[in-house]
Amino acid sequence: MPTKLSRRDFIRLCAGSAAAISMTGFLGPYLSEAVAAGAPPVIWIQGASCTGCSISLLNTVHPDIKKVLTEVISLRYHPNIMAAAGDLALQEMYKVAEENAGNFFLVVEGAVPTGANGAYCTVGEENGHHITFEKLVTDIGKKSAAILSFGTCSAFGGIPATPPNPTECKPVSKVVKDVPVINVPGCPPHPDWMVGTIAHVLLYGIPELDTFGRPTMFFDKIIHDNCQRRQYFDNGIFAKNFGEMGCMLELGCKGPIAHCDATTRLFNGGVNWCVKCGSVCIGCTEPQFPGWPMYERMAEMPVGPATSVTVDQVGGVLGAAAVLGIGGHLAGNVATGRIGPKKNEEEKEGDN
Amino acid sequence: MVKQMEDRHSVWIRFCHWTNMIAITLLILTGYYIHAPHAFRLFSNMDTPRTLHFAMAYVLCFGVVLRVYYAIAAKDAKNIVFSLKEDTPKFPSMIKYYLFMADSHPYYGKYNPGQKMMYTGWLFMALIQIITGFILYKPDMFMALGGFLGGYLAVRLIHYIVTWLFVLSVLAHVYLDISEGIPVLKSMFTGKIPADFDHGTHEEEVKADGGVSA
Repeated sequence: MPTKLSRRDFIRLCAGSAAAISMTGFLGPYLSEAVAAGAPPVIWIQGASCTGCSISLLNTVHPDIKKVLTEVISLRYHPNIMAAAGDLALQEMYKVAEENAGNFFLVVEGAVPTGANGAYCTVGEENGHHITFEKLVTDIGKKSAAILSFGTCSAFGGIPATPPNPTECKPVSKVVKDVPVINVPGCPPHPDWMVGTIAHVLLYGIPELDTFGRPTMFFDKIIHDNCQRRQYFDNGIFAKNFGEMGCMLELGCKGPIAHCDATTRLFNGGVNWCVKCGSVCIGCTEPQFPGWPMYERMAEMPVGPATSVTVDQVGGVLGAAAVLGIGGHLAGNVATGRIGPKKNEEEKEGDN
Repeated sequence: MVKQMEDRHSVWIRFCHWTNMIAITLLILTGYYIHAPHAFRLFSNMDTPRTLHFAMAYVLCFGVVLRVYYAIAAKDAKNIVFSLKEDTPKFPSMIKYYLFMADSHPYYGKYNPGQKMMYTGWLFMALIQIITGFILYKPDMFMALGGFLGGYLAVRLIHYIVTWLFVLSVLAHVYLDISEGIPVLKSMFTGKIPADFDHGTHEEEVKADGGVSA
């Protein structure tokens, strides 16, 4: 049954459609409206990270970062761009979290080191004691409406959590339970993925997520299926060196296993992306990143610690062993007369 | 001149054998091109081998289902399913025969324990290939399973290693069958084998055990 759309519903529908077809620029006015109406505050904290995700956020073009900060998000704490520092800033963050308990959103950038009781990452001081990042994430995270894990490190562990992982880094979802976590992986994530996800949680709540907690609106496409070089793959043209034309699968491109819409969204304000500028996809949005050789077609065979054996080498050795075994057996068969001329004689004798 | 023949393989066994053989051979060839298009220039583009690979994947699926159903429905399972308890004690005599330490081997039933182990292993290998293959074919549909197995790259590694196991075991299979005699190979086409073909000697110790497998 068709229902009459109110003006507000209509605007929401337009904004939703704009978000759906990745026109985040159109979201700005509605976000401003939401913030003006008292949208939930956002706290942004950083752990074991390289701050690349924040740099990527600063590169947002539509809407630009000034607009994002002044009109779109009510950002109350961000280690890099806030004016306050030290105790003052920390107290303000705790105050915001306390006052808006269950109503604010926590953005976490970077993995959570849990080794040595979290001593590998301290973010402040309280009564003469270090505040570890693990404690901060747990304390603030428990009070938040939802945690947005920006970047592969906070979403899946990423580079800090790659073996041997002496700091025992963990993704946020493994540290804070019972709070919905939205993973926005990427190394770094596209600014649109971050601004778009924040916009979605502020305007409409938690977006639709896939198995690994990634918003499907940004991460439901496979790079390989939408790659500009896909036709090369279909035609069987493969680059042997960087800079050549052709599909870069042989150079270790992880496009067939990587999920995101960088192929069509493009980085740097819609100018370029990894493969278009001649690099392979390194699959930075996947949970296993970077646990694979970036420029190899296939991982090495884990036959033992500190070895570098490829599957092809193992297969080759086994194949040679099989051929030798069969050859040896064949020689034995002929020598003992199970097959060959001797056998025929026996058979003849038998027939007679 | 006409040799006395006896039935060995039913038409269904032969049908499954050859469809699976065609499917697996094409899967290995197209799969290796997909793996290493530069080193293995069997096709001129990626579309044909991929289409063939996916088509043959379905053929293999149906082949495996049909073969398993036949094994159960026609009570053929006892011939080909390796039993740890009954078949393991038969290994020494078989290995002695294959290493030329014995001139003959006892009668094991339709297949010897090594064959049983291989054929049972192929079922599990085929299942692994089907599962990992479909994860790679439809990565969005089986995302959770792919993640459970350690990610798509790990899945690819499993898929690739099991392919090599198939190649090596098929090599051994073909060699051993032909070396046993051309009638064995012929029987997979005609279904019949000479009645006087040597299936092993019936000995008293085997007879006691043969009551179970007969």
